[in-house]
Parts: sequence; structure tokens; C-alpha cells
Amino acid sequence: MKYARILATALAVGLPTIAAEAQSMSPMRGEVNSFTDVFAVRVFPANPYDQKIKVEIHVYDQDFQPVNARIAPGTFQLAAQASRPVLVVVPFDGAAERKVRICTESIPFPNQQTQIRAQICGKFFGHRKF
Amino acid sequence: MKLFRTAFGAALLVACLDHAAMATTQNVIFNGTVTATCTLVVATNGTMTVSPDLQSLSSHNSGGSAGTVTLTTTGGVSLSVDPVTTTTAPAADSTATTWTPTYSTSGAHTIAETGAATALTIPGADLVSVHLAGTKGGSNRFASGNYQATVTLRCE
Repeated sequence: MKYARILATALAVGLPTIAAEAQSMSPMRGEVNSFTDVFAVRVFPANPYDQKIKVEIHVYDQDFQPVNARIAPGTFQLAAQASRPVLVVVPFDGAAERKVRICTESIPFPNQQTQIRAQICGKFFGHRKF
Repeated sequence: MKLFRTAFGAALLVACLDHAAMATTQNVIFNGTVTATCTLVVATNGTMTVSPDLQSLSSHNSGGSAGTVTLTTTGGVSLSVDPVTTTTAPAADSTATTWTPTYSTSGAHTIAETGAATALTIPGADLVSVHLAGTKGGSNRFASGNYQATVTLRCE
């Protein structure tokens, strides 16, 4: 319960009000202040297609190495023109600040010779406040 | 007395008119914020064909076609392609292939074909053409069978 309160405070402090419109992912930039050893970001992936798609959320560091973040949900189906919130909790791993990319990836259409994977990445900067 | 009534009536009328005029000049303020945004919609996947010397499997070759993606952005983002990591090849192909993904755009941003990241500073919509070329060196040749590769197009 205490953790949830701290997490909620970190979200409230770090992020402005976010509108969930029909975009691939919003926001694409953000700076979060946290009083714990993690920081949280809420992003809104959207499906701009006229058909249902499968979406995956991944978190990478500045060198595009995977970050062990908690993503809820990490993989899901998104209806045509729909959007939904995804909560990403990123550990500082002992650092005072951390830059990460949160990426929304669409799953390519199958059975094509050259498939294209569309990836929308937002850049987020977490500051740990002591 | 008649003069007094006329003056009083005129004063009352002026007061009412003045009050009505004040009620029509209120301002309603609207605020809005547009954050940096990018939307990618894959329109078509690409097709690669093999060259006569069997050392190139590319969307640039005759009969091949680029994949197309529509991009819409507010600006303040960058576009790039990742090195190809996911490929499938027929079992008969045991030699190394070098895969080179590239892209070009037309529309709000005109970008000549490149494999490097490009900043998109202004808002607008573009058609992105994504190409992929696989090459073999030396005496190596592409084998018969089905090839497939995935190109990641990133907007960040």
C-alpha cells in the first residue's frame, strides 16, 4: 500500500495530464521525479489502422539494450483506432538518474518476403530524489 | 412632473442598455498542448528479387518493390532503420549474407535514400519507402527457396 502511494506520487509529480488520442504512442518525451528506487511512466499506445493489431511494449536503455522494467501489459491486442494506457515501472539500478526508451512495436503482417516492423519510441528521463 | 417622469424613464432605459452591453463581452479562453508525436502505418511490405549473377537479393532489383509506410508527425522526432537481425533462408543457403536496409521519404520531408537516422524537424505527412538489399561476396550465391527478412523502421 505504501509502495502504491509512493508510486502514485511519483507519477503525479513527474508527468503532466496526458490525453489519450489516436496516436501511435503518447507522450514521446517525459521527465519523472521519483522518491523511490524506481520511476513510473504511463504511455498510451494507439492503433492507427482500421483493423485489430498485436502490440508489444519494450524498454531499452540509451544503447538499445533491454531494460528489466515492469510493463503492464507488455503484449496486447488493440482494436482499430483504439488506444489504451500501459504502465511502465523502470528501476534506477542504483543510479541517480536514468534515460530509457519506451517503444511500441507493431507485429508485422505474416507471410510477406520483406516485413516491416514499425517502432515508435519515446524518450524518458527519470530523476531519483533523495 | 411630466418632465421628471420622462427624465426618469430615459435614465432607466440607458441603465438597462448599458447592463445588456456588458453581458456580451465575456471572453472564453481555450488552451491546448500538442506534444511530439509520430505515427507509422505500414501500407505495403516489400518484395526482393534476385540479380542475374545470384549475388544480390534486393528490392532494388528488377521486379522487386519497396515496402511503403505512411508517416505523420508533429516534428521534433527522428527516423531510422535498424540493422536486420531476423531473417529466414532456405536450408540450401549456408553462406553469409550482408543485409542493408535503407529508406527514403517524400512529402513534407524529402530524404534521399539512406540508412542513417534523419531528424524530422517540421510537422507533416510523408510516404516512406523502405528498401532491403542482401548481398553475397566471393563465389557465394543465393540458393533457390524462400527468403524472409524483417526491417524495423523507428520513429523516436
